[in-house]
Amino acid sequence: MQYMVKVFTLISLIPFIILSFKGFGFFSGLGANPIETIIHETGQWGIRTLIVTLLITPIGHYMRHELYKKLPKPLGLVSLFYILIHFLSYALIDQGGDIKVIIVDIIETPYLIVGWAGFLCLLSVGLVSLKKLQTWFNKNRSTISGIVYTAAVLGVWHYYWQTKVIEVEPVLLSILMLLLTGWKFKTSKKKS
Amino acid sequence: MIPIPTSRITSEQDFRNRRKIIGAGLSAMAAMACNGPLLAADSNATGLLEPTPLKTINSYNNYYEFGFDKSDPSEAEKTLITSPWSVEITGAGADKKGVYDLADMYGEFAIESHVRRFRCVEAWSMVIPWIGIPLANIIEKLEPNSKAKYVAFETVYRPSEMPGQRKRILKWPYIEALTMAEAMNPLTLIAVGLYGQDLLNQSGAPMRLVVPWKYGFKSIKSINKIHFQESKPKTSWNISASNEYGFYANVNPQVDHPRWSQSRERRIGNGFFGAKQPTLMFNGYQDEVAHLYQGMNLRKYF
Repeated sequence: MQYMVKVFTLISLIPFIILSFKGFGFFSGLGANPIETIIHETGQWGIRTLIVTLLITPIGHYMRHELYKKLPKPLGLVSLFYILIHFLSYALIDQGGDIKVIIVDIIETPYLIVGWAGFLCLLSVGLVSLKKLQTWFNKNRSTISGIVYTAAVLGVWHYYWQTKVIEVEPVLLSILMLLLTGWKFKTSKKKS
Repeated sequence: MIPIPTSRITSEQDFRNRRKIIGAGLSAMAAMACNGPLLAADSNATGLLEPTPLKTINSYNNYYEFGFDKSDPSEAEKTLITSPWSVEITGAGADKKGVYDLADMYGEFAIESHVRRFRCVEAWSMVIPWIGIPLANIIEKLEPNSKAKYVAFETVYRPSEMPGQRKRILKWPYIEALTMAEAMNPLTLIAVGLYGQDLLNQSGAPMRLVVPWKYGFKSIKSINKIHFQESKPKTSWNISASNEYGFYANVNPQVDHPRWSQSRERRIGNGFFGAKQPTLMFNGYQDEVAHLYQGMNLRKYF
């Protein structure tokens, strides 16, 4: 079991490994606008990983496989890892680390407010799980998963909102997110 | 220019001539460029313009007819056949209607070098050493009548050669337009090459518009139709989202896109840690074009 968890976690890190190689000029490099490539790729892989994380529970529920209990946490952390690089490369490199500039940029760019909110949600959950506040974590499972869901909805919204024309992936992720939220409401109603 | 019937196909000799003509023009220009006056003449506001490397210009393109990603157009198969190439002149404002061969145009007009800033609506920019024919020179020969208030341009519509046109990304064919005064401004260019070489597919081969004081989407690529018309043309991005992409689309750091700021831009090729730079009013061509918009509310007519 633990072995499978490690394998899946490693798989989720492959895009990061490829991106690192691109940074050193392999696989045709990062292109003409390297900072944009890093921001876009880490953002995309962050939200993809997060949605896969959320999909594990319903899929595991129907497949009755034990893996679904162990996998969400490491995958959620990998997602946070991507989003952390996404945010830091935006703040420190793209915006030059100037807090005033970043604040003005976030105010002027509505999809950044949404992205920022989603990032804070994910970060808060990540910090709790990293600090191993296990008792609190276990007592508040529904709150935690609620925050993760909120982060995912905000993340997909942030992605969708900045596209210039209708693109396949953000639409697909939005539909998945809608289905997941529906499933979440259905199951949480049953419990209460 | 002599109108030719649509059925006419450029002979091989005409095609060879076209190369020769460009070649001769280019070596003359290269000689001038070595002496510097061309580059110096094109500098203003921010000093001397350093052209973006050729490889960068040719690998970072927005050309949805060839795909969404910036690298798609350069990685796409070179399926668009650009020679022979003809342009149809139509519309109520056109007295000399007809189909004109691009090869003939090379003999008719002098090819100029224009080093210009290029600012995309997505807040990135480049400096591009274009070669081409000022649109005003072409329009003067075409002698449009008083009904010609606007000039509309169409990108070639060939779904079999342009994969993006098989998807409903935008309303195809791509259409852009200028007012007559904008079209006649000396900055407005019909570009046929950059860095002294023919345009590649991803940059809008074989002929495209360059309107350096407007956002890049106005600079329509691979043109094969020009309409002279009285009413304001409906343009592609304006049809797609009229609240985001106006007809004028003048570069203006004070008027933001509804979803992002236009006050700064990333100059492509300035290095990984290169800072963003302030965007200039009319992309730095205020002296040349501000008079066109005197008294206009640029927030309303964005």
